[in-house]
Amino acid sequence: MIYVFRTGRWLFIALAVLVSLFPFYWMMRTAVSPADEVFFDGLSFIPSSLDWSNFARAWTDANLGQAILVGSAMTLSILALQLITCIPAAYVLAKVRMRGVGIALAIVIACLLVPGQVSLIPIFIGINTVGLADSLPGLILPYMTSAFGIFLLRQQMMAIPDSLMDAARTDGLGHVRTLYNVVIPMAAPGIAAFSVFSVFTHWNDYMWPLLIARSPDLATPPLALAVFQQADAGFDYSALAAGAAIVTAPVIILFLVAQKRFVQGMSGAEIPG
Amino acid sequence: MTTLTRTRTRTRTRDEKIVSSDNLPLRPPRHARTNLVPVLFLLPAGIGIGIFVIVPAILSLAASFFSVPLTGGAWQWVGLTNYVRVLTDSAVLQAIGNTFVYSVITIVPSLAIGLGLALLANSVVRGRAFVRTALFLPMTANLVAMAVVFRWLFAFQGGFINQMLGFAGFGSVNWLGDTSTSLLTLALVGVWRSASFSMMIFFAGLATVPGTIHEATRAEGIRGWTKLTRITLPIMKPTVVFATVVAVLGSVQVFDTINVMTQGGPQGSSETILTMTWKLGFGYFDLGAASALSFLLLVVLVGIGLIQRRVLAGGHK
Repeated sequence: MIYVFRTGRWLFIALAVLVSLFPFYWMMRTAVSPADEVFFDGLSFIPSSLDWSNFARAWTDANLGQAILVGSAMTLSILALQLITCIPAAYVLAKVRMRGVGIALAIVIACLLVPGQVSLIPIFIGINTVGLADSLPGLILPYMTSAFGIFLLRQQMMAIPDSLMDAARTDGLGHVRTLYNVVIPMAAPGIAAFSVFSVFTHWNDYMWPLLIARSPDLATPPLALAVFQQADAGFDYSALAAGAAIVTAPVIILFLVAQKRFVQGMSGAEIPG
Repeated sequence: MTTLTRTRTRTRTRDEKIVSSDNLPLRPPRHARTNLVPVLFLLPAGIGIGIFVIVPAILSLAASFFSVPLTGGAWQWVGLTNYVRVLTDSAVLQAIGNTFVYSVITIVPSLAIGLGLALLANSVVRGRAFVRTALFLPMTANLVAMAVVFRWLFAFQGGFINQMLGFAGFGSVNWLGDTSTSLLTLALVGVWRSASFSMMIFFAGLATVPGTIHEATRAEGIRGWTKLTRITLPIMKPTVVFATVVAVLGSVQVFDTINVMTQGGPQGSSETILTMTWKLGFGYFDLGAASALSFLLLVVLVGIGLIQRRVLAGGHK
């Protein structure tokens, strides 16, 4: 009986790993296949020959260099702004007792529930009105802060023992030094988790750039690829898959590097110790 | 006046004097005296949330009662007309129904599979890092890039899945091109991704269950399903709530995959509230109707949120 259970467990895990990885495998397989044997020729799991030229074609045809530049500038600016705005706010919500904190927290949680599309149209009109459409700031500004980030970081900071805060106070540290020297190091897993999450979200974001970035020079990676996809005649699947691989690689690498901390900080709960 | 030790409790009242552990009164705490710095700390986030969440949400509510020209110009009060138009439009009703169906067939499997995988991956000893990394990868995928792969996998002619079905002796299914399967196919892609995200959240949550709990349950002989439902899940309550909220928000707001895989088709069979809002707002420039629709969605989400709020705000400690 126990063997059946163990085997079943392994089969389930193996199946899940297979399902998780298969699309990535297929993307790579298509990316290195010669263009004429992409997928209409039966089930060939391994291409007959490796054709790395697809990557070069994807790079030039979709102007991926420029897209990656724009995507990085946008993603990193958003991350910087979000950290600057969310960390101090989370600290106050978690560790400062003063009037209004409870209301502020309730507002943050309420904002967590407002879906992006509710504010989409007014923000779009607003960004147009102030003349930021089709500009990098227009891509960045609406995401300058994140209710999700504030909430996640607040949960992490709640776990910092109050005795530590008292000790900092006894040593005469003000809020700024306490935040910088005590809270930020202690909340590092949460900060790392949120950073990775933010980078994923905005690197992959499709909807807002689709609205704002009209000129090809401002296309973010998903836009560059999507433009690719709407081309019809003589369409180049291998190059598209190669482009997808190029665009996905940076986030996978980031994820592998930050994985451990990311996992620690992602529970939505306070982590003891 | 009771002597407070350093471990504070929630019941402490405002005017109790703070006393150090050796019973000497401390200097008046600076934090309590100067409220300016915390306010400054809250200000940048407050401005951001105000400008980009609260004001737009209020404007959206307002716009739903007006006829709004996209290019600017005067708003015209139309009362509930937008709501009536939206709620009597069969395409919109279909989109609302689709969103509901998509959410149910995505959220429940995502959470169940995510939890199952987290428990299993947690119990794997050898190759744990590999299993975990592999299972997390779908989360990192760029949905626009991946949608391309999925379109090939689900292609009617020559697609991988239909070829597999062919080998097994079944006929081909027109996954994305048939009105009866397009939403299901998109949901499969949705589950692929959000189960990975749920799993990661649960995985992190499992790490918060203290080792002493495991020892205690083992000593008591509590195992398996009983342990999961009576011990582990209640301890992980904040995590469960968090995972559920993330899954709900993610599935209700599905957009990317639909836009690149089916564009809501065929015949509106995979249209959702968000793709419909998009079409109304930016396709037909009917901002009033788009606002009304998105506001209806907000009402539903806030309703769900209010139920969860207590747990979200106070579910820890």
